Amino acid sequence: MVVSERVQDFRLPDLGEGLTEGEILRWLVQVGDEVRLNQVIVEVETAKAAVELPSPYAGIVTAIHHAAGQTVEVGAPIISIETGRDLAVTDMVPVLPRQDAAPGTGNGEQAGGRTANLVGYGPRSGTVTRRPRNDRGPAPDAPVDGIAVRAKPPVRKLAKELGVSLDGLTGTGVGGTVSRADVEAAVKGAVRLGVSYSVDSRETRLPVKGVRRHTAAAMVASAFTAPHVTEFLTLDMTATMELRDRVQSLPEFAGVRLSPLLFVAKALLMAVARSPEINSTWDEAAQEIVVKDYVHLGIAAATPRGLLVPVVKDADSLSLVELAHRLQDLAETARSGRTAPADLTGGTITITNVGMFGVDSGTPILVPGQAAILCFGAVSPRPWVLADGAVVARQVTQLSLSFDHRIVDGQLGAQFLSDVAAVLRQPGLALVWG
Amino acid sequence: MAVLTMAKALNEALRASMEADAKVLVMGEDVGRLGGVFRVTDGLMKDFGEARVMDTPLAESGIVGTAIGLAMRGYRPVCEIQFDGFVYPAYNQIVSQLAKIHARTKGAVRMPITIRIPFGGGIGAVEHHSESPEAYFAHTAGLKVLACGNPQDAFVMLQQAIRADDPVIFFEPKRRYWEKAEVDVNTALASACPLWRARVVRSGIDATLIAYGPMVSTCLAAAVAAQSEGRSLEVVDLRTLAPLDFPTVVESVRRTRRAIVVHEAPSFLGLGAEIAARLSEELYYVMEAPVLRVTGFDIPYPPSRLEENYLPDLDRVLHAVDRSLGF
Amino acid sequence: MSEIAYPAELVQLLTPEGERVAHPDYDIDLTDEQYRELYRDLVLVRRIDIEATALQRQGELGLWAALLGQEAAQVGSGRAMRPADFAFPTYREHGVAWCKGVDPVQLLGLFRGVSNGGWDPLEKRCNLYAIVIGTQTLHATGYAMGIVKDGAVGGPDGEAVVAYFGDGASSQGDVSEAFGWASVYHAPVVFFCQNNQWGISTPTDHQSRIPLYKRAQGFGFPGVRVDGNDVLASYAVTRQALDAARTGQGPTLIEAFTYRMGAHTTSDDPTRYRLASDLEAWKLKDPLERMKSFLYKQQLVDSDFFARLDLDADALAARIRRACVEMADPAPLSMFDQVYAETTPLLLEQQAALGGYLAGFCDTEAR
Repeated sequence: MVVSERVQDFRLPDLGEGLTEGEILRWLVQVGDEVRLNQVIVEVETAKAAVELPSPYAGIVTAIHHAAGQTVEVGAPIISIETGRDLAVTDMVPVLPRQDAAPGTGNGEQAGGRTANLVGYGPRSGTVTRRPRNDRGPAPDAPVDGIAVRAKPPVRKLAKELGVSLDGLTGTGVGGTVSRADVEAAVKGAVRLGVSYSVDSRETRLPVKGVRRHTAAAMVASAFTAPHVTEFLTLDMTATMELRDRVQSLPEFAGVRLSPLLFVAKALLMAVARSPEINSTWDEAAQEIVVKDYVHLGIAAATPRGLLVPVVKDADSLSLVELAHRLQDLAETARSGRTAPADLTGGTITITNVGMFGVDSGTPILVPGQAAILCFGAVSPRPWVLADGAVVARQVTQLSLSFDHRIVDGQLGAQFLSDVAAVLRQPGLALVWG
Repeated sequence: MAVLTMAKALNEALRASMEADAKVLVMGEDVGRLGGVFRVTDGLMKDFGEARVMDTPLAESGIVGTAIGLAMRGYRPVCEIQFDGFVYPAYNQIVSQLAKIHARTKGAVRMPITIRIPFGGGIGAVEHHSESPEAYFAHTAGLKVLACGNPQDAFVMLQQAIRADDPVIFFEPKRRYWEKAEVDVNTALASACPLWRARVVRSGIDATLIAYGPMVSTCLAAAVAAQSEGRSLEVVDLRTLAPLDFPTVVESVRRTRRAIVVHEAPSFLGLGAEIAARLSEELYYVMEAPVLRVTGFDIPYPPSRLEENYLPDLDRVLHAVDRSLGF
Repeated sequence: MSEIAYPAELVQLLTPEGERVAHPDYDIDLTDEQYRELYRDLVLVRRIDIEATALQRQGELGLWAALLGQEAAQVGSGRAMRPADFAFPTYREHGVAWCKGVDPVQLLGLFRGVSNGGWDPLEKRCNLYAIVIGTQTLHATGYAMGIVKDGAVGGPDGEAVVAYFGDGASSQGDVSEAFGWASVYHAPVVFFCQNNQWGISTPTDHQSRIPLYKRAQGFGFPGVRVDGNDVLASYAVTRQALDAARTGQGPTLIEAFTYRMGAHTTSDDPTRYRLASDLEAWKLKDPLERMKSFLYKQQLVDSDFFARLDLDADALAARIRRACVEMADPAPLSMFDQVYAETTPLLLEQQAALGGYLAGFCDTEAR
């Protein structure tokens, strides 16, 4: 068969009856016949009815592609007709299919990817490949005028929880937005909060709220506001531990349990009296250092709700027994979660007692607004070299002091720390300094 | 200036429209001799005659269907649907016919028809008399939907709706019909004021309340109450529900960063849903809280003894404000 | 083959055999040329219908609602209208549209899916097709009420309207409302119901227990049943009803008793619900054959009249075919145009967005 532009294929059309195929019932023409436009050429049995199909071309039948009895899919050519120059009125325009489709695609689709239905051409089937584009898809949103920093809500939430101010960050995300990475980078290196955002299912995500949330915010605010310096000092506090045992047996101390912390607190208060600048705050607005002549002593405490820092007001005016009672009350109240909000504010200097967890030392972060925080490590028997070179077992501990380097220079910090240590080494100094 | 109820302001708007354009017709059930069940058309038949103010048969599809034919003939019908719950018999004519004719004729036939519908609850009515069907119409391409919230807007917006060459569904908050206000009855306002714009009716900085129709007053009251708590709420009266004036809404929320949509209609797929979606598209990086909705519930309008529980009120609005500010 | 008896009170001026008969209330006196023109219309309208049906079978139209068998009802009523009279068709009134000067090519746009309309209704005095059945009867009534308001009724130069609908639509509330309104407002509207016996598969006796034309009485205006396969009677009855309307006598309901010889649409299979014998019986009442026979018998045509007419029909069909297959799909962005008289920011935004989206593909042009 000679295929030329003059030979037209008539494909089985969508007859609008929901059919996907039809059975050739009867051909009314044969190869070589001349057919007129709209002459009925074939009867097709669909799922619903027998339908007569009129020829869309006038011309000579050159091929019949499916014999009677065969089932043909919609869209497949059923007959080829060679149209003559003066025969067809449609010879200049393709009548079917409207869009080329491979014959016999075998899935019930007809030309153009449609499936026949009741009232129209039928729905088009979906495609599984994307159409090629000559651009790179939607551009990122333009920056929003009047908004200093843009970040997605979850990133905002993260920043809020970490106490990171978006205003201080330069966004490196799409369109200049502050990304999660930007926020995390702002935190990294300054404080390790152990916040992990891995999607690993073996990890547990704990909501950060309440005390934890406030603590986080406060710690980050502090860490990024006050330049921290931390100094360490290891000492033999055997004498203080022995003193504690003796004092515990005194009648006025009945009913109160004396902890090493009590003596560290007392030593701190005595050292503050010798270096008042350590008990101060940085007033950014006024560009002044405010030195307090009172000591509101904060005691960091681990509680079920998280880290709390209840404050002993005017601790410097308390006697040892008063201080002992206050510390005991404070600890019990904090552990039971009943600390009043008023008792959590106003501290001027703080002790954190990591020793109660058996930890030797740490680099504490300042409570915002304070100039110094003393970390008290575990007291445990250690080998200690005496002045005469003899090695003996002593009650040894380590103190570390973080201070705001804007207020406290290294010498003042060292002086203060060594004063605390001196009292603990030799409690008798209290008689001298008191 | 004159002190008018909203019903009277609407009446004056109809009167002004009929005086300005002889093609304007008023048609509906009991709109003539009775003057309408809410008296919005009071006196019009006496002054303009039965040819222009038609007491129609009780058939809402007929009202809208014949209005379509009248519009094809060059008239400018203003149809009254007596109550919100009675519009459904006309729904087919409105949605399948009225809304599509301009597009089907490629602009050859205009449909300058206004369909007035008293809507909303709060008047202790029996069933079918308290509904808020605006979303059905706002959802339909080819229709424009307005809701007035005060007598001044009622006066101006109704004239503008009648002048518009597109079909307008004009919702009137029936519980506000008798609220009085100073109204500038200068008909030139209808030319001077923009119609398809929302309006900031109270400025604030902490959150934006977005409302229309009967809830505008509720939101304004809530904003006053919030002020005593130290909170500054902005109130936007949408005025036009379709097309919806997103720029005004977005501009407000861009400043306040918080948005609460208030409407009597049920929440599901209501105007609030559309506004929330839009704000999330436009202000994703700006908003401090998700868009909240204070709406009727997704139930048939309850018996009137329960409607106070159904209708958004000052407390429910402020409850949502609390929630929004808590983020 | 069963005999389908015409019901009583049927106005008929031309028997199925082509005999001209008189009727006491309805008579017409047409010129020879007018008779020939009516026949010409019948032939051309049928040819339009056949060509469109073929185009659907060849995949060029999504759907076609054939008028086969109803040519006389449509041409008769259509030609009874004056140019100023307004027609409100349903979706099968290709013959009415032809009479109102709508190019058949314009009818195809709706069925090909390139348009939801196709022509200017005000220019053609012929509304767009109504697919939601019955809705248009209210539009026609409203339009007729407007004629009354304009004072364009009450004399021989008055205007009138024809509302077309079918036996199925007669069950719609809108049709009853239109009857009521037209009666109350004395509207110059003629309700022309083509009772083609079928609403898709539902026979007329499922729509009404009384003859449809008798419904008019309940609404307070006259009803008449005419042989819808008789172009002369259809013309006469419609013309008289239009004249009554235009002179201020209010509406009339005409039930044109006819038969849908084809399927409801090309998507329908009528063999599932009706008997071939009924079809055979109605073939004997074919509207074209009786008119052809009348022209022969009255010697109103010369020997090559029919051959020339066939050539004209062929040319018309060829023009329709070519115009149909060449009918371009509209530009995608055009679908946003003319939704409103005053467009909205939302539509402009969506139109621009689609334009930008489409422009991003390698293989398309948006406009």
